[in-house]
Amino acid sequence: MAYLAHRTAQALIVLAIAFTATFVLLQALPGDAILIKFESPELGLSPEQIADIRASYGADVPPLQQFLHTVAGFVQGDFGYSVQYGTPVHELIGSALPDTLALAGLGFVTAVLLAVALAFLSTLAPFGWLRQALRSLPGLLVSVPVFWLGIVLIQVFSFQLRLVPVIGADPVQALILPVLTLAIPISAPLAQILARSIDEVQLAPFVAVVRAKGAGPARVLWRDVARNALLPAVTIAGVLVGELIGGAVVTETVFGRAGIGRLTEQAVANQDVPVLQAIVILAALVFVVVNLAVDLVYPVLDPRLKRKAVAA
Amino acid sequence: MPTQRPRRIAAAGLAALAITALLASCAAQSGSADAAATGEPVTGGTLTYLEHQPHTTLYPPQAGFYPNGGIVNNITARLTWQDPESLEIEPWVATEWTVNADATEYTFELRDDVTFSDGTPLDAAAVAKNFDTYGLGNTELGLTISEAINNYASSEVVDADTVTFRFSAPAPGFLQATSTINSGLLSPETLDRTLEEFGAGSSTEIVGSGPFVVAEEEIGTSLRLEAREDYDWAPPSFEHQGRAYLDAIDIVVTPEDSVRIGSLLAGQADAIRYVQAFDEAQVSGAGFEIVAAPTRGVNNSLGLRFTNPLLSDIRVRQALVHGVDAQEIVDTIFTENYPVATSELASTAKGYTDESDALAFDPEHSEELLDEAGWTAGADGIREKDGQRLSLTVYEAKPQPLSKQTLELVSQQLAKIGVELEVKSADAGSYATDILDPLATPLYHSMVGRADNDVIKSQYHTKNRNTLLSNDAELDRLLEAVASEPDPAKRDEASAAVQDYLTEQAYVIPLFEEPQVYGAAQYVHGFTTEAVARPQFYDTWLDKQ
Amino acid sequence: MSADIRTGLLLAWLVVAIVIAWAIVPWLFTGQDPISGVPAEKLQGPSLAHLFGTDAIGRDLFTRVVHGAVHSLSGAFVAVTVGLVAGTLLGVLAGSLGGVVDAAIMRLVDVLLAIPGLLLALSIIILLGFGTVNAAIAVGVGSIAAFARVSRSEVVRVRQSDYVEAAFGSGARLHSVLARHVLPNSLTAVVGLAALQFGTAILAISTLGFLGYGAPPPMPEWGLLIAEGRNYVATSWWLTVLPGLVVVVVVLSANRISQSLGRSR
Repeated sequence: MAYLAHRTAQALIVLAIAFTATFVLLQALPGDAILIKFESPELGLSPEQIADIRASYGADVPPLQQFLHTVAGFVQGDFGYSVQYGTPVHELIGSALPDTLALAGLGFVTAVLLAVALAFLSTLAPFGWLRQALRSLPGLLVSVPVFWLGIVLIQVFSFQLRLVPVIGADPVQALILPVLTLAIPISAPLAQILARSIDEVQLAPFVAVVRAKGAGPARVLWRDVARNALLPAVTIAGVLVGELIGGAVVTETVFGRAGIGRLTEQAVANQDVPVLQAIVILAALVFVVVNLAVDLVYPVLDPRLKRKAVAA
Repeated sequence: MPTQRPRRIAAAGLAALAITALLASCAAQSGSADAAATGEPVTGGTLTYLEHQPHTTLYPPQAGFYPNGGIVNNITARLTWQDPESLEIEPWVATEWTVNADATEYTFELRDDVTFSDGTPLDAAAVAKNFDTYGLGNTELGLTISEAINNYASSEVVDADTVTFRFSAPAPGFLQATSTINSGLLSPETLDRTLEEFGAGSSTEIVGSGPFVVAEEEIGTSLRLEAREDYDWAPPSFEHQGRAYLDAIDIVVTPEDSVRIGSLLAGQADAIRYVQAFDEAQVSGAGFEIVAAPTRGVNNSLGLRFTNPLLSDIRVRQALVHGVDAQEIVDTIFTENYPVATSELASTAKGYTDESDALAFDPEHSEELLDEAGWTAGADGIREKDGQRLSLTVYEAKPQPLSKQTLELVSQQLAKIGVELEVKSADAGSYATDILDPLATPLYHSMVGRADNDVIKSQYHTKNRNTLLSNDAELDRLLEAVASEPDPAKRDEASAAVQDYLTEQAYVIPLFEEPQVYGAAQYVHGFTTEAVARPQFYDTWLDKQ
Repeated sequence: MSADIRTGLLLAWLVVAIVIAWAIVPWLFTGQDPISGVPAEKLQGPSLAHLFGTDAIGRDLFTRVVHGAVHSLSGAFVAVTVGLVAGTLLGVLAGSLGGVVDAAIMRLVDVLLAIPGLLLALSIIILLGFGTVNAAIAVGVGSIAAFARVSRSEVVRVRQSDYVEAAFGSGARLHSVLARHVLPNSLTAVVGLAALQFGTAILAISTLGFLGYGAPPPMPEWGLLIAEGRNYVATSWWLTVLPGLVVVVVVLSANRISQSLGRSR
């Protein structure tokens, strides 16, 4: 219990620093959201008019005051308005979050399934050359930029083979290619780790014994590897959250999907500070929660680590 | 541990080659559209239309941005209609109008059967409120003045169907202004919204007067327009009256060029905006239709900010103008839909005059001019004078088609006359800051479309876009003459005078006449654009089965 | 087993050697101009005259790839160096000093991981301005946390080993134990990570190019070549596929070398 309280305190500190650091970083950028939106020559606004607009956004006071104002708002659950869209931030994030959660959640599950399938096939498949080809696949897949993979998948599966539409697809169809795009690069390192542990298990002496008793290789692998596989998967789950978000930006852009990733990218481009502050809080929250969960689950899965210092 | 690690790299290479082969086969894609003979228009169906960028606002004066304009054009009616071919102004919501001799007073008679999409009548009071907002702005709500309206003073509701507008100085461009999307008629209640409340996310609440309404919106990704059953006030010159043929239009934002084109060719979309020049052959080769509509305004060009000390010498500016080969740019990067510029204005623009002789590509003359101005070749081929290199900067302009490739080629051409042109890319914040500084941005890549003589004033006047960051009072005076000359013939002369002056002073390097290029499947009929190339879905119908 | 592994490793080193040679003496590999092409020869497919074909304004793509090596490699190098130096410094300090310093540094690392990497990277680029080196710094900052975590855990592992305990027992000062025992023994894992990050950095810089934050023109940086060529994927496939293959081969080789370095400890 004390451990949990300690971890929660740590998490709150991380949240506070992340929030403050982002605010400082965004203040330092050249120009601001109001300039980007209103200084366009097309609007022909005079400097006085722009000053008025700035005042109406509360952006004419010193940064410290703005910071305190923002913090006060966030504490009360008021995230403010997006400068770019004029929409309340909670509305923007609320409409983007489900899409990204579906994409990232399915992406993660698919990545694990792909990795397991790849690892097993590369050990069990007939023909040495086929196993080799399958083993080389993860190395290749981590060497390809995600956006490139997305474009190739669209060209091949949607435009050439016409299996899944990209435009006018139903919600399930619309997820197939984006989920693959997100999952493939993440599955690759996972598959490598799994394949290695399968190799180790196969060389273990007890396997020969079990085999001698008539158990098929698949059964042996399944029983013993499944347990070994869970551990690395959980270990990298924390790291994967970051990769899923990074991958989501690119995937959402290539496929023209709504989501947190694209929202982030556009908010940075337009220096939409209220949106970015809210995204940082959200991301940091997910990060600390996932890490806390991983740290709590880890000892359960691996008895060797029970109550041994797993800090940091 | 298995042994053949080296082969992994080889196998990986093979797998990559397989992908290459698949991609290569993409190049030979076959067409799908069935060529149907044009028969009777069919009512019904949904058009899937792919946009390049998400729209930002539906406030009409800010609808110049194409994604905004494409929506505003279809959800609002205007007082008048400008024929995209003849550029004549015809009745729409206004049945007739009178203008006084010096163009300071306009009176419009309105149809009495027009309603907004919430059912409220579109009467003289509503029209007056629209133009009071667009002509004077509303600081409290953050609503800006329309750049199409000059010298606006006041409105007067004469009776329910008659409204009069008065101007503080002659405003000959106002009649055409009433036809542009910047003057789209919105319900009086909608005009009480703040600028933010016109933004993306609240589109379904914008109440207009056009053939379509915004029915659904997903911020940044898609928007659905649905036809108004009760729409019955198309411009009388249209053959088609009553409601639009289409039931609905799904506007889907698809920023990736390859995805937009591929979706069209694979039959997943019916029409798309922004077919890049390099994709045109692929689209038409597959049996799809290319619609290239001229924008009839100031050409795609490079403004030379003469307040930058390096460009203050007219000989340097002239050298730059004659050192750029616009023909090579068009031949290399663009297609025949992008005519080489022959003036600062497009040949299809109002008030155009031919300046091609004075703008001709002549690198030898450029070198002479630079020699004369005291710029001599330095060690690396770039000219120098008093220890200063003739090095200039230009920013890639994201809204212009293939701006980066265009500027890279211009840079290559200028290098041949000993001028260095550094092409920069920047984030929106740095760009917005730097383009206002002639030292940071001596050359500025831009264009503007509007089918009225006023367009040249929009681009160059110090109180409008001021793309030259000018301090030239003479230029302003000439531009004001264009915006205030009531006699049409004299107005064209005033436009010509501005073009002569810009050429003479070498303030601008015109490149090409920029079109908007759309792609559509063969079964899409009646896909047209308004005078400056915004899509017009009213007449569009589908012949799918 | 070992003979084949060595061949593979040799192949990987050969790839890296060639690419480094491209970066240092590009003119030995191609005689054409990477910046100015012949506009009339635009968008030609691969041929003997143009091994990788030509781009939209008639520049030889192979020449641009060769001349781009210096930008891409130095970009990846800067990215790895930033992560390596800053991350290892933080990790070693945390691991060897322990206590409050350890806790403070690791919370800082948590903050770096908690802020979305893309937000951090894009903000840094906007702050520093567009360019390969600045993009590389942005990518490097993103990898500080990984380096810090790996080096800290290695330092903690080595510190707890018997011979370091013994060194302390024999009265040695902290910094001399650090220099003589801890650092040399914990760096191999960090070097392995660095080689892996090298490939990752090239990909990350390419992704920044895709999002519109790449090197300014006319610099032929690889990531940017792939990112800009993608628009031509259906009409002129070589523009994105061939530079893409070069990157795949280089990243594969870097990863292969990383594995060998990781195993050698």
